[in-house]
Amino acid sequence: MRLRRLSVGFVVLAVLLALPAGAAKPIAHREVLPNGIVLLVAERPAVPIIVVRTFAHAGAVLDPPDRAGLANLTGTLLTRGTAKHTGPELDSAIEFVGGSLSAGAGRDGLSASLAVLKKDLALGLDLLAEVLLTPTFPPDEVKRKVAQIQAAIKRSEEDPGTVGNRALARLVFPNHPYGRPVEGTIESVGKLTRDDVARFHGANVRPDTTIITVVGAITVDDARREVLARFGGWKPPAEPPASVPPAAAEGPPQSETIEKDLTQATILLGRQAIRQTDPDYFPLAVASYVLGGGSASRLYSRVREEGGLAYAVYAYVSPGKYGASFNVSAQTRTAEVPKVLDIVREELVRMTREPVTERELKLAKEYLIGSFPLRLDTSSKVADFVVAIEEQGLGLDYADRYKERVAKVTAADVQRVAAKFFAPDGFNRVVVGAPKP
Amino acid sequence: MRAFLVALLLLVLAAGGAAAQSGERVLAATLENGLRVLLQEDHRSPIVSFQMWYRVGSRNEARGATGIAHFLEHMMFKGTPTHGQGQFARLVEQNGGQDNAFTSQDVTSYYVNIAADRIDLVIDLESDRMHNLKLDAKDIASEREVVIEERRTRTEDDPGGFLGEEVSSIAFKSHPYGAPIIGFMEDIKRITPEEIRAFYKTYYMPNNAILVAVGDFKAPEVLAKIRAKFGKIPKGPAPPPVLAVEPPQNGERRVVVGKQAQLPIVYLGYHVPNQKSADAFPLEMLSTILSEGRASRLYKRLVYERQLALEAGGDYNYFSQDPNLFWFWGTPMPGQTPEAMEKALLAEMETLKKEPVTDEELQRAKNQVEATFVFQEDSVHRRASLLARFELIGGYAEKDRFLERLRAVTAGDVQRVARAYFPDDKKNVGVLLPRP
Repeated sequence: MRLRRLSVGFVVLAVLLALPAGAAKPIAHREVLPNGIVLLVAERPAVPIIVVRTFAHAGAVLDPPDRAGLANLTGTLLTRGTAKHTGPELDSAIEFVGGSLSAGAGRDGLSASLAVLKKDLALGLDLLAEVLLTPTFPPDEVKRKVAQIQAAIKRSEEDPGTVGNRALARLVFPNHPYGRPVEGTIESVGKLTRDDVARFHGANVRPDTTIITVVGAITVDDARREVLARFGGWKPPAEPPASVPPAAAEGPPQSETIEKDLTQATILLGRQAIRQTDPDYFPLAVASYVLGGGSASRLYSRVREEGGLAYAVYAYVSPGKYGASFNVSAQTRTAEVPKVLDIVREELVRMTREPVTERELKLAKEYLIGSFPLRLDTSSKVADFVVAIEEQGLGLDYADRYKERVAKVTAADVQRVAAKFFAPDGFNRVVVGAPKP
Repeated sequence: MRAFLVALLLLVLAAGGAAAQSGERVLAATLENGLRVLLQEDHRSPIVSFQMWYRVGSRNEARGATGIAHFLEHMMFKGTPTHGQGQFARLVEQNGGQDNAFTSQDVTSYYVNIAADRIDLVIDLESDRMHNLKLDAKDIASEREVVIEERRTRTEDDPGGFLGEEVSSIAFKSHPYGAPIIGFMEDIKRITPEEIRAFYKTYYMPNNAILVAVGDFKAPEVLAKIRAKFGKIPKGPAPPPVLAVEPPQNGERRVVVGKQAQLPIVYLGYHVPNQKSADAFPLEMLSTILSEGRASRLYKRLVYERQLALEAGGDYNYFSQDPNLFWFWGTPMPGQTPEAMEKALLAEMETLKKEPVTDEELQRAKNQVEATFVFQEDSVHRRASLLARFELIGGYAEKDRFLERLRAVTAGDVQRVARAYFPDDKKNVGVLLPRP
């Protein structure tokens, strides 16, 4: 009701995905435990809290094609019963000390997250180890969770952004798990069984693909000892970890209109792009920022500031481990859809035809590099960042490299990369709400 | 969760976050022109959260001009003679900063989070726009369209926002809390540049603002810089007080709306006192017991055990400037009716009146609030927001007494406030019925 622009959460997420620039010393201590767990520790002694994130390579990318939503269901069921405790007992135990323990899956991985006061670390880690290592997936909890996920999917049909992004993912990543919704569909989730969940957990939540990140008021030695005490005896299964193919090239761009009785239309454009391991990623990040990254961007200026056509308009790169996309989104009143599409098209073309100005280039680079400390100012943000660079294989010095790479980007680089990725005819397009424009 | 309630919830989370241990002490000063300044050093990261809080929100709006406080918030980014169109955002971004703003019923707040060595820039920009905003008719015209789009996103096209507006409207006959913060569409379209300029002159002045900064700086040095820039702005006349007092509610009020949606929604609102009453503390505990976490009462009983609701909760705004509503809400699971949802929420209320909450529930709620205070210390942005919120209700030092008062709440207190403030014949009920 109140925010002038996009919600803060969205900004943080978008920027975090772009994995921005660097700190002088390594952001975390890293070591590999004997059973293959990668342990990362960042000491932040000032506030007596500890945040632990675990990440296993057990995301929706491993869902069998006829079992969409399996990783998500498995993730949410981890906290619903273990060999020692029922779900409600786990809830009461962690909440009684004012802490939180949650688990869930995303596209690439299955994460569990613990936040506790320092004095409650032993309890918190005990519970975290239980939910990862000995979940029991009680049948009534499976049934209950399936119904909740189905209801949430149904309700999400109300949200034009969710509806549009699901459609867009299908167009951008056809025949790849990235094209399917992490939560599955009402139908696919309805078919999942307790056996599916138990098998998925047994095969894919395993020490040799798990990252454990500990951030907060704790030393490296203490963190290692506490983690080893609970996870040291965890053995990987005999079968090798599952592998995931990278996204195949997308087909010819397509358009979809999803009609809804709304006063506004949500416009989404998307196409495959590149991730941080490609040297062109850095000029792409700059190009995306100049086009639609902030309140000084071209799209924001033309669509919002000058045109008064939209409250929200953005361009952003969304890199995943197995593929990346570049997206543009806007919401505008139904009648103005053609005008906004025209402006977006013009600005995309302009990025490919002429170099960005020195002023724009400077602004984008200074923002991407200079805002870095804001991304790492809480224990949770540090934990998210450390997990992200580890799981994407970017290295603990990624922050520094990012800074260097961004600093070197020239206007010619931006134009070259824009020519590759911004040609308007290369985008898939989804419009939700409007009758066909 | 629905945008409307998320916003309410954020306020409550902030409420939970009052600093348990204040850590670094606060340097507090009131400039000659009335500007209240609170500065707190925090040297863990080389950043600062710099926040301006104006004591103006939708509660200060007249009928026919709803949404003007929020409209003006948008205009604060449009430029001054010194910093022209788009300059503010450009300068902040170019210096690696992030900025945003929000308008609530009670306040309008602006923040810039930025590298600490750029604080001079922020002082410069914020002091400039406190006094020199251009408010050009052409800029107002184009921004009006943006605000209209925002209303479409948050209210017209959002079932939760849509219903929340209707319930607020029936709950308040007299007090401006009944009007939406973003304003009615008719008012957004009508409000004139002259009215916005007058509103700015009335409320944007040093003696109606609180400046809070927390971060990696030396407080006395920053105070001197603030004096140099903000000190030049003249004090204004005291803004007019909000006179409306909501009369007692006589009888139940109910609104039922149809909307394209997938699931029904049920809202219940009851008039409750704000922090000026000692009952605020048991109400705050009650809110936590009902809604905080998966072990909380409404989640455990309605979502988990009975599987009646996809989500359910209750929410109290301790910080509200004037007495406001205690909200309850629930989204029934597919196949469940809004009638069953409403009945279940009301049954929970009856239970609260009949039986004291358990010792475990009360202690858990206290521990949750205390832990939240400590977690909030991790973020300079949240530390600054909390100082401001307590300052707005009587002084930042209040936050140190807040926990103490919460700890003293008994199960008997919780039962007493449940009986006193949730009478069945004085509820405001909103139901959204989905249309395909």
